[in-house]
Parts: sequence; structure tokens; C-alpha cells
Amino acid sequence: MKRLLLSVFAVLGLAVATLAPAFAQSKGTVYYMVPTLLDEFQTGSVSALEMFLKQVGYEMETLNADNKTDAQQSQMNDVIALKPAAIILAAVDFNALKPSIEAARAAGIPVVQFDRQITSTPSDFTSVAGTIEIGHVAAEQAQKLLSEKHGSVKGKVLQVLGDPGDPYTLDIQKGFEEKMKEFPEVTIISHPAMQWEASNAGTIVADQLIANPDIDLIFNHAAHLSVAAVASLESAGKKPGDVMMMSSNGAPVGLDLIRKGWLNVEVEQPLYAQAAAVAMFMDKVVNKQEIKAGEYDVLGLKSVLTVEAWGPNIKIPGAAIDKSNVDNPAFWGNLKPPSDTVKPVE
Amino acid sequence: MNLRARRTLEFVLDNLVWFMLLFVLAVFSLFIPNYFQLGIFANIIEASSVLGVMSIGLALVVISGHMDLSVESVAALGAMAVGILFCSAGIGMGVRLEPEILMVPVSILIATAVGGLIGLLNGFLIVKVKMNAFIITLAAYIWVRGLVVAVSGGRSAQDLAPAIRWFGIQRFLGLPLTAWIAIACFAVFSLVMSKTPFGRHLIMIGGNETATFRAGIRVTRNLIIAFVLAGAIAGLAGWLLVVRTSGATANLGVGLLFNAFAAVVIGGVSLKGGVGSLPGVYAGVLLLSSINTAINLMGLPSNFTQVIHGLLVLAAVLLDTLKQTIRQKLA
Repeated sequence: MKRLLLSVFAVLGLAVATLAPAFAQSKGTVYYMVPTLLDEFQTGSVSALEMFLKQVGYEMETLNADNKTDAQQSQMNDVIALKPAAIILAAVDFNALKPSIEAARAAGIPVVQFDRQITSTPSDFTSVAGTIEIGHVAAEQAQKLLSEKHGSVKGKVLQVLGDPGDPYTLDIQKGFEEKMKEFPEVTIISHPAMQWEASNAGTIVADQLIANPDIDLIFNHAAHLSVAAVASLESAGKKPGDVMMMSSNGAPVGLDLIRKGWLNVEVEQPLYAQAAAVAMFMDKVVNKQEIKAGEYDVLGLKSVLTVEAWGPNIKIPGAAIDKSNVDNPAFWGNLKPPSDTVKPVE
Repeated sequence: MNLRARRTLEFVLDNLVWFMLLFVLAVFSLFIPNYFQLGIFANIIEASSVLGVMSIGLALVVISGHMDLSVESVAALGAMAVGILFCSAGIGMGVRLEPEILMVPVSILIATAVGGLIGLLNGFLIVKVKMNAFIITLAAYIWVRGLVVAVSGGRSAQDLAPAIRWFGIQRFLGLPLTAWIAIACFAVFSLVMSKTPFGRHLIMIGGNETATFRAGIRVTRNLIIAFVLAGAIAGLAGWLLVVRTSGATANLGVGLLFNAFAAVVIGGVSLKGGVGSLPGVYAGVLLLSSINTAINLMGLPSNFTQVIHGLLVLAAVLLDTLKQTIRQKLA
């Protein structure tokens, strides 16, 4: 009996000893306010942020707002009461969360903007690919594809947006149309897929293929919409390459469609680098140290940090993925998290 | 009013939604460029298949005097179950059966069984435990969607097995097979509702549950069957959804519930129960789909779809009231 008790205490002691350094290493808990878990970019962001923050000594808890602004506001209020080391916010609504950000910062809790830039109030750090810039990259690719087909930038483009209430898709549209405006011979037909639902995108593509059979290029604002678009093309008897297609966000399904020849280009949001940048600067954010402007290497991507009116803002360049580089493990859609560990910026 | 005029008026009143559909199609064909062509009409019928099948199950429950808010999430779960098993990309496990055609009945069975089980749970809690149908099915609407997200981890399944996807590509008389499945479902369940004791009993239960019980009809059993059928049919709608989109995402089918309710109401089914027919519901579904297509072709912001749907439901309720008044005067 005595031996048994001693063994139990020994095991417990060992467990406590193992746990103790872990506690000692933890620099605090960071809350990540994810807008939804219904798309692959967002679920990927949870695991990427968790992995990189752990590498620099932080625990992470995630709260999902299910795309509801009021739910995210309530979650912000709850988290402020918990006094975490920091809050990472990917806002459902870019403007509605402004008072919550101000309340958190007034309570001494630093707020980091992730993926969705809020410029109407200061934050402690912002890590974005730039949704308008994604639209710009998409426009450059569209120009290239149309030129290859017609010899000059002209033709008909069907743009399938996400939900019309989501500023994310509206920004991509803005960036895309801004750059395409220079080419008057390009007609852009835009339709939103309500609630980012794939079958809505499929219906739009099916209808437009009949009403506008001369569509040259389809640009879907998310890779999962491309899957339904492909299903509609297939139903209409089209083969890969008959209608050019591109989408944005770089999700695994988009990369699969490139390999199958349906998708010409996927504009990637650099998920891993965006998350790694947050972890690299987390110590400075939590300790309220100065963050200096300049060029930083984030997982091999040259990223520019500027100090804007809304605070330090790092912009990671998005990449265009096509058949030539689709297997590059750096793209998050290949689901191979980088093996390099992130180090805090000194 | 002579007998002939009276019969004509009753025929018009009984099929008002079909006349509305014809009117809307005629107006759109005249005024919207590219609308009047066979391909567009085929698209309207194809786009109606998922919503149509889902509306059948919902209509059965509504006619019996209850409601089922869970059908949308149940369809999503059915779609995700089939997607995970029979898709080969994303989170799909790429299960293959020999001969390949076996995957069709097995996948349908899985989707309908998943839906039927949830329907059984709903039916048991509502009919046996006497809990409120609104609350129970609202809870199911939430927890089943949560289950879809949990099971998929927010990721999607793509590349459906070709043997199943075949139904979304092959056409018969210009319509994809998925549309024919929806039409067949409407035909079968219309017969069930009008020609079988079960269908007539459901209408009686919806009209007056107590009187039906006193007439010796097994109300509890029939109601539970109605909920099981609503779940299983929603599962079938999920199967059609996964076939149509060749995969399943965690948000697949979001927003279908409200359209299904709109179709049921526009189709002349009374939310109080006891009144309604499935052909009318199909007309309601086609009406909504033809309006969606018109909006797609006109290039109107799709927010207008919701406004028009809402106004249509309102118009349907007003027309229903008008119908009742005219009928009372005829009586």
C-alpha cells in the first residue's frame, strides 16, 4: 500500500514538474475572435494562429461569431472582462466593431486586427493581405488571361461575389473593378452569391451561361464558389478550359481545381504569413513597445510594415497561383504548415 | 352565377398559384432580354429541384398543423454525410463501392436515414413528449448545423464520385435527372396526400386534431410518420444539393428554410394546417425560382430577391384571404 501511494505521488510529482515549465513559459492568453468557421480560410486561420502563438509562448482561445456582428460585439465585451494578454480580431463588420475595439484598448487590452483592416479607429497592430489588393492582383491576372485569348484585354467577365453584406467581398470587387476600368472593351457582369452559399453561385453561373454564352472568364470571390461554378459548367457540357475561371482566397479546393484544369488562377491570401506576422509582433504588442516601420521577412515573404493613422500595419503580398506553382508548399491551400519556427521581433 | 361560371371560378381559385406562375413567366419573357428560351426554363426547373423536394417535407408537416424549422440543417447534414463518404477531395474519404452504381442507392439511403433519424427525434419530442414544435425544430435547426460544422471542421468535401454526380450532368428531355427526381417526388407525394388514407388523415389532423382522434384515427402515429418523412425528404434534398454542387461545404443550403416556407405559403398551404396541396407548392417553388432567374438576368442587386420574396408571401396570404371570402360567397 505504502509503495502504491509512493508511486502515485511520484507520478503526480512528475506530472506537476512537467507542467510547471509549461506554465512558466506561457506569456498569457490571447483571444482570437474569428468571424465564422464556415469557410476554410477561417478554420485554417485558427490553427495557424494557435500554432505560431504557441511558438512565441502564448496560449490562444477562439470565439466564433457565426458571421453575426452583434454576437461578436457581445464576445468582445465578455473577453474584455477576462483581461487577456491581447485580442486578435477578424471583424464581421469593419465599422460596427469600432466601439468594442475602443473599449478594449481603454481597458488596457491591446487589439490586433487580423485579415480585415479597420481604419476608423487605432489598433495596436494590423496584419492583412489587403482585400482591395487581392482585387488588384485578380485584375492583373484577368488582364493576362483575356490578352492570351483575344490578343488584347477585351471580353466578358462574370464576377460572382460573396454575400453582398460582407465588406470583404465588396473590397475585392472594388479593387478588381478599379483596375479593370482602364479597359473599356471588358464587360463585367457582377452577381452576389447570397450568404456565400455555393449552390447560389452555381445557379448564377448556369443562368449566365445561357443569357451570355460568350462569357470568357468567371471570377469567383472564394474557391468554394468555384466548385459549384464548375458543377454548372459540367452540367452545361463544358470541359476544363472552355471557359476561363479564377477565384480568390487560395483554399485547398481551389488548388485542386487548378490541378484538374478547371481553374486558371487562384489569388492566394497568404494565411500562414499573416498569422506568423501576428506572432512575430505579439511580444511588442502585449508589452506596448514601439513597432518600427520597415521591411520584414515573414516566412520568406517580403512584407512592408507602415505606421498608419490606425496603428502599425503590416501588409503581406498575395500571390497568384496557377498550374506552374500550384504544388508550392508555401501556399496554405496545400495544407503543409511551415516547419520554420517564428521568432519574436527584437 | 351559373354552374359553368361557378366551376370555372373554383378552378381558377384552386389553381391560382399556377396562373400567377404563367403570368409572371409571360411578363418576364416579354420584358427581360434572353429570358424566353428553353435553356432558361430548364434552369428554372433545375434550380427548383432542391428547394422543391425540401418543400414537400415541410408541407406535409405544415398541412398536419405543425412546423419543422430543421429541414435546412438536416439537408446540410445529409449532404455533408454523403460528401464526406463519397467525395475524393478535401475532407472526402473517397469511399468506392463495386459495382459503382451501388453508390447511388447507398448514398441516398445514408442521406435519407440521417434525415429520418432527426425527424424521428423531432417527432418523438413533439408528439409523444408534447413539446412545442417551434422550439424543438428550432433547436434542431441550430444543433444540426452545428453538427455539420463540427463533423466537417469547417472544411469542404469535393469531387463527388462520378456514379453519383452523373445525376447532375445527364439530361432527359432537356432537364437534368435531379430535376426529374424532384418532379417524381412531387408526383408520388401528391398521390400519397390525395389518394391514400395516410394523406387524408394528415389533412384531417391539421384541420382538427381532436376530432380526428375521436374519429378513431391514430393521430400520434401519423404525426410521427409526418416528421420522419419531413426529415428523410430533407435528407434527399441534401443528396440533390451535393449532386448539384459536386461537393459539400459547411454553409451548404443556408437560407433555404425561408425560401421553403415562402414556397409552401405561396403554394396555398395554410400555416394553420388542414389546407393545401403539393402541386400548388411546386408551383410556388417554380415561381420563386423564375423570379430569382429574372433577377440574375436583369442584373438587379440580389437583395431585391429577398424583398420580392417577402412581398410575394404577403401577396399570397392576401390572395388566400380573398379566395376564402369568394368561396364563402359561393357557398
